[in-house]
Amino acid sequence: MDHLERYRSIIPDYDGFLDILAMPLPTTARINTLKTDRSCLLDRLDRAYVAYTCLEWYPLGLRLGVERPGKMIEHVLGHIHIQEEVSMIPSIVLDPRPGDRVLDLCGAPGSKTTQISQATENRGLIIANEPSLARITSLRSNCERLGAVNVAITRYDGRRFPQQQFDRVLVDAPCSSEGMARKDPKVLGRCSLKRSFDLQVLQIGLLKRAVQLTRSGGIIVYSTCTYAPEENEAVVDDVLRQSQDTVCLEKASVQGLKGCSGLTEWNGTEFCDELKHCVRYYPHQNDTGGFFVARLVKR
Amino acid sequence: MSPGWSKDRNAFELEDRSKIARLWQERFGIPMQVFDCFCFYRRAQNVWAFSDMALPKLRYEAIGLRMMNFKEEHWKPTSCALQVFGRHATKNVVHLPSEQSRIFFAGKSQVLEAKVEPGYVVVFYNGDVLGCGLYSHGTLVSQLPKESRIIGDAEMDI
Ligand SMILES: C[S@@+](CC[C@H](N)C(=O)[O-])C[C@H]1O[C@@H](n2cnc3c(N)ncnc32)[C@H](O)[C@@H]1O
Repeated sequence: MDHLERYRSIIPDYDGFLDILAMPLPTTARINTLKTDRSCLLDRLDRAYVAYTCLEWYPLGLRLGVERPGKMIEHVLGHIHIQEEVSMIPSIVLDPRPGDRVLDLCGAPGSKTTQISQATENRGLIIANEPSLARITSLRSNCERLGAVNVAITRYDGRRFPQQQFDRVLVDAPCSSEGMARKDPKVLGRCSLKRSFDLQVLQIGLLKRAVQLTRSGGIIVYSTCTYAPEENEAVVDDVLRQSQDTVCLEKASVQGLKGCSGLTEWNGTEFCDELKHCVRYYPHQNDTGGFFVARLVKR
Repeated sequence: MSPGWSKDRNAFELEDRSKIARLWQERFGIPMQVFDCFCFYRRAQNVWAFSDMALPKLRYEAIGLRMMNFKEEHWKPTSCALQVFGRHATKNVVHLPSEQSRIFFAGKSQVLEAKVEPGYVVVFYNGDVLGCGLYSHGTLVSQLPKESRIIGDAEMDI
């Protein structure tokens, strides 16, 4: 927890924030419209007396009152996908449409890939990239369980993904995962400023490449599950400055979810004013994990 | 898959759609039009189903979902492909009641009387396709891969 002290000045109601970290994370799932639809699925849960509530901001999101959701038949048959609530945000901000060509640069284990696939209604092309062979196994098995037939998987270092032009690119970057502390308190033990700076180099490389891989007028979403501004605003700021006006930021907020604006200053460093369009999600705002999302448009 | 498999990742080749569609029609009575918006790729003995979109020139690890694999003159459908296409099946279909579907979900075999030809069948429970079974000599053997099994009756909510 000590590691989080450095965020006291930027997190509203810091004590409320600490309090909720001690509470278990609600179990949430996304309805997979590639295999079922919302009313069928809710009907099933009702008939099976499964306790659930619907997320107010996302019609396909559910909170489940189930101890072992992985054992639910709905999960095994791919009618739902167990997914953290805030992890449902980036694909919505990316807003892919049927027919789009989408690149998911850091794809495994595929929660967002498959959410993008359902948004494109299995029409359109999704390239899910992941360098780790072990993680490709889980990416593949999620795509197959959920019936995503428009996903092809590649295995490049995202910074060197071959030149292509996509309509939309998602960079759900490897990060220090401070926002996962409710699920796994051990993550904080691995966090340090040095680690954040190491990750920053990789993150900037990935986001820069993503911008080059996006057609003019296309959208790039950058997200992490961490609070460190070094891995969030600082990364986006660096890429904005280097891109010399070829990219700008758009509002990344999602209706119905409470969040904080991106920082325009941290530890004496000023960021571009546009960074206020990014959104930071803290666990005590919506009873979730922590998250950061930015939406960039290529001119 | 063995760790070395990505070495021949270039080996995906476009497969003739009507050839695949005909095999599925012959075995399961699935109308050939069901496969109209798909294309099929073959790598070694495996065939993969993908939405009918042009693929950019990249090195692929996987293209869509695994549809079937060939062993000599036999072929075997995957459970995940049956979950996508199997609801159109009109023959070689087995509907299981709740108790039997638990056994199937556990990946086990069971003695069962079914009016099907010997070989691979589409297994249903309660209107859903559970996956692939192998039927012969009055026994149904679950072909569910490990990750799709649910072991332990009491824990399962069906
Ligand atoms: C936060 S996870 C992605 C989660 C995924 N988007 C999902 O929703 O299921 C980040 C991923 O980036 C991968 N990664 C690490 N280094 C990378 C690189 N150089 N290029 C692309 N991806 C990388 C990691 O292996 C990890 O699977």
